[in-house]
Amino acid sequence: MRSLFRIIRRYSLTVGLIILIILVSNGCLLAGILYFTAGQEGVKRYSRMSLEMMEQIGEELGKTKAGGIETKDGKTISQELYVLSEKGYQTLETSEFVWAMALNQEGETVWQWNLPPEIPKQYTIQDVAKFTRWYLQGYPVKVLISSDLLLVFGCDPNLISRFSLFISSGFVKHVPAYGKIVVLINLLVIILFILFFGYRFYGSMGPIAQGIEDLAAQKPVYLKEKGTIGELAGKLNETSRLLLSQNEALARRDFARTEWIAGVSHDIRTPLSLIVGHSDRLAKDESLTVENRMLAENIRRQSLIIRQLIADLNLTSKLAYQAQPLKKSRFLPACLVRSCVSDFYNEGLETGKDGEYEFEIITDDEMEQIQIEADEGLVMRALRNLLGNSIRHNPKGCQVTISLKRQSDFLVFLVEDTGSGIPEKVVDNMANPESPIHIMGLRLTEQIARAHGGKLEFIRRSGGGYDAGLWLPRQKNPC
Amino acid sequence: MEVYERKIMAVDDNKEILNLIEGILTDSGYSHIILAEHAGQAMKLFLKEQPDLIILDIMLPGEDGFSLFQRIRKKANVPILFLSAKDEDEDRLFGLGLGADDYMTKPFLPEELVLRIRAILKRTYHTTEEEAERETSYRIGEREIMPERAVVRWGTKEIPMTAKELMLLNKLYQNRGRIVTFDALCSTVWGDSYYGYENTLMVHIRHLREKIEEDPSHPRWLLTARGMGYRLAKE
Repeated sequence: MRSLFRIIRRYSLTVGLIILIILVSNGCLLAGILYFTAGQEGVKRYSRMSLEMMEQIGEELGKTKAGGIETKDGKTISQELYVLSEKGYQTLETSEFVWAMALNQEGETVWQWNLPPEIPKQYTIQDVAKFTRWYLQGYPVKVLISSDLLLVFGCDPNLISRFSLFISSGFVKHVPAYGKIVVLINLLVIILFILFFGYRFYGSMGPIAQGIEDLAAQKPVYLKEKGTIGELAGKLNETSRLLLSQNEALARRDFARTEWIAGVSHDIRTPLSLIVGHSDRLAKDESLTVENRMLAENIRRQSLIIRQLIADLNLTSKLAYQAQPLKKSRFLPACLVRSCVSDFYNEGLETGKDGEYEFEIITDDEMEQIQIEADEGLVMRALRNLLGNSIRHNPKGCQVTISLKRQSDFLVFLVEDTGSGIPEKVVDNMANPESPIHIMGLRLTEQIARAHGGKLEFIRRSGGGYDAGLWLPRQKNPC
Repeated sequence: MEVYERKIMAVDDNKEILNLIEGILTDSGYSHIILAEHAGQAMKLFLKEQPDLIILDIMLPGEDGFSLFQRIRKKANVPILFLSAKDEDEDRLFGLGLGADDYMTKPFLPEELVLRIRAILKRTYHTTEEEAERETSYRIGEREIMPERAVVRWGTKEIPMTAKELMLLNKLYQNRGRIVTFDALCSTVWGDSYYGYENTLMVHIRHLREKIEEDPSHPRWLLTARGMGYRLAKE
């Protein structure tokens, strides 16, 4: 389930990242659009409606005395006329303004350019106040005070909109704080959504994850095939059924094979009993010639080897198919080594071969007291095989040293001899499952080590050949 | 009655094996041997002949050895040794659990069968104290060990032995000719938690040598197996 949690966490982070990327890219997109459409155009347009341009026009507007106006009483009042220079007109032409006029202090239009007919010529203070902050006859206008005149420029209402905004200064002051709050609330909502959907995702994936875990542990999987994960659950259920049936078939086959080997070895026992028994009697029959008695003894010895091989074959097949439960008990390995070595000495004494092989046991105080929990019979068998190996490979006799050592959490039975050691060919063969049967003893030793969670190690000697180390897990808390 | 005079019945469905057992027992000096090939015949012969020991196979046609064992035991408490091709620990434990005196697997060493039969007979049939003493006493060279009285007799002299010395000597004698490890000797005397008793063991061995050896500093019988244990040499 931990892996599922990791998946959900990664999913949540990814969703957060995606949202962040979308937000940032949206911002960029908006800014881009503003810049390329409203922005660039607006800047251009604004530059053609700028205060500077308006001031320029104001400067170009000159006063001339052009005739007079006759009053009612027959006097002629010199009339002042305002004229825009050629340059001023050029500036106006390049501008975005659609019309322009100049009002004097009295609110009269003293100069005009392209003034539409609907625009009045006379203005009161109220009119001026109105159009300066709103529209003039539907035209958004810009105004400029130039000397004693009020210049009014009309903009195209189709191109320009005008807003007159009143915002509380308190709000303006708090805009950054409000912005932060809005962003925070947004983030919070996003996180809540992520958590909610993540949790739902986790909830729906939970059974699937459990199913996969059970599958890996070779447990049967029965998931409800409903909801969004129905199809997945169905496939898992089917995989589990398939695996179970395959495992059962394998177990049946292994069991059949183990049983078959056990059966054969059982059936061989009775005839072998007769061979051992009769050859033994013949070997002791004093009416026979010495030669014949030696032949009988040879038959007896070979039959005993067959007996050992059958027992090994039976055990190796059981260990290979886990049909041999370990009968674990606590014991002292140092004691086991002495017992094993004394057996070899005793066999040597019985067969008259004592003195050819010498065994040395190297332990210390700690090793004498150390206990392990293992199948004593099997460990004895493994050790016997290793010692027997040293003897078999050195028919002319040798000294065998068995040292007990501690290697981290393991206890190592190191078997070295002064003879040729284990041949390279044999060690190579160990890695090959098709190797011939004559290394069954070593293979059995390795199986016993593995069944206990240990291993069989081959240590190369400088002069060729190998020594063997039997590694067994050590009891962590000896009592 | 000598052990060789005891009546032994062997039950096995294989006639060849029966003949082999008969041969082995005859070679070893036993003369009263009864053979049966199946449970029915075995039961009949058992009631008629009243054997002193039964060698019983497990895989028999019809009724098996375990069942026959239980029927026989209901009639009499005769010692029974299972001799079977079944070498599974479960079978061995089941057989011994029923109360069998021993369990041997085929193929067996003839000598081992004879030794085990002898041991069972000796264990079961030493009726009188005198007989028991005669059966249990043994010789080491010139000296006779009498475990029932815990003495070593040498000519007219009798040297007493302590209980621990006797236990050690008996253990060595039971494995005569074979090395007995320190561990086995110590656990015989001090039980399972014997660690640290090795020096004490050496003291007991020295005392034993003084009692059974002519020259305790150059022992002839009680020999040291260096780094391993001790061995009581055969005659």
